[in-house]
Amino acid sequence: MTIKIRLARFGRRNAPFYNIVVAHARTARNSKPLEVIGTYDPIPKADPYDDSGRLHKDIKLDTLRAKYWIGVGAQPTDTMWRLLSMRKQVGIMEPKYRNQQPRTAPQLPADIKKPETPSA
Amino acid sequence: MPPRIPTKSSASSASALVRSSFASPCTSQCLPSCRAGFSTTPSRERSTNLRRAFLQWTRTIGANYRQPKPEGGPNYISNARSSALQPFPLNAQFRSSRVLDEQARELIWEKVMRQGETLKAVSAELGVDLTRVAAVVRLKEVEKDWISKGKKLATPYSKAVLSMLPTKSFRPGVQNQPLEPINELHIHTATQKQLFWPTAESRQFTREDAAKAFHAKMLSADKRVPHPELIQMEKNLLRGMSPDDARARFINAAEQSERKAAEKQMKKAMAEEQATKKVNTKRFEFRFKEVDSELVGKDGRAPNVVGWKYGMPHYDRKKGLVKIPTSVP
Repeated sequence: MTIKIRLARFGRRNAPFYNIVVAHARTARNSKPLEVIGTYDPIPKADPYDDSGRLHKDIKLDTLRAKYWIGVGAQPTDTMWRLLSMRKQVGIMEPKYRNQQPRTAPQLPADIKKPETPSA
Repeated sequence: MPPRIPTKSSASSASALVRSSFASPCTSQCLPSCRAGFSTTPSRERSTNLRRAFLQWTRTIGANYRQPKPEGGPNYISNARSSALQPFPLNAQFRSSRVLDEQARELIWEKVMRQGETLKAVSAELGVDLTRVAAVVRLKEVEKDWISKGKKLATPYSKAVLSMLPTKSFRPGVQNQPLEPINELHIHTATQKQLFWPTAESRQFTREDAAKAFHAKMLSADKRVPHPELIQMEKNLLRGMSPDDARARFINAAEQSERKAAEKQMKKAMAEEQATKKVNTKRFEFRFKEVDSELVGKDGRAPNVVGWKYGMPHYDRKKGLVKIPTSVP
């Protein structure tokens, strides 16, 4: 069966907190996993005494175990893929880029050339 | 008996009677819940001899105790036996303790922040608890920050409270009476058990040994006091060192211990900084901290396991547990 690296929601109502787990794909979200390899706190927090307004999110991860599980074929979910592929510092996965080209605005109706009507 | 609503004047009782007589035929048709109805008869004020005597007292002698003393400080009801710090004349165990006044707090802040004295030295000199000295400095910093930002302070409130409390002030440059005992030991849980520890009479049983008897890693009381340097100073004095010399050594030792603590804190912060990998994105900074997921213990329930545990209650909302932060970040 497929093995997934995914998030299991803990915490309270309006205060989510996730365990990063390695589990069989078809088991329930919060069932006992094969292994807990970290945590993800999605609530952005400010540093104490920092008025700049810059917020951070805390992630705890056992990178060695994460690399092992990926080595033996575990599949990260999209969210976990995003976390595992963050820059060089973590860089366990190749980032899944949706579209590397910079976005261009779609054509406005005014710019679309109207087919010329034959004048009688 | 139905509950009675006291009314202001007895004149309204007549109208109440009229209303109740009108209401009475309705009661048979009303639902049982509304049948109880409220009586609007004014309740008679109960007055006992004691209450009357008390009211009499508040008008005569008691009037003197209504306001704090004009020169400041508490205005307690005291008799010949009770002292000035005893708010309740019959409760000799309750003593209100003195609080630092504005000038004393300013002096502490001045010593620590302007003159660069150590917290321990200031605490030992003025006889103020070490944690209180730290708190005073912290709060004074907040106050000064507010003043510089133009925030309004609750000065009238502070003045009113201080006028009603026994206060303590210090005179700079002279030996002051201490505010409180500063060498109080925090009661360690390991020392709360009753212990029978047979030792040979010929053997010297010191405080070090006593600490070891309670727990292998426990420090002796001499090392657990807030100012272990003061013990060394007293030892030096007993050895015949001049007081000025002993004092200078104490200040030096206090400085060293403070520097050591600061270095330790800095080292810890540096180690934490190095262990976290920071990834900046447009909106947030993601901080990755390395953990070891294999320290789960035999049954996967070791106390420091990463993440929330399975099949175990989480006591974050349990009654009686402290839920507010207990330390300053």
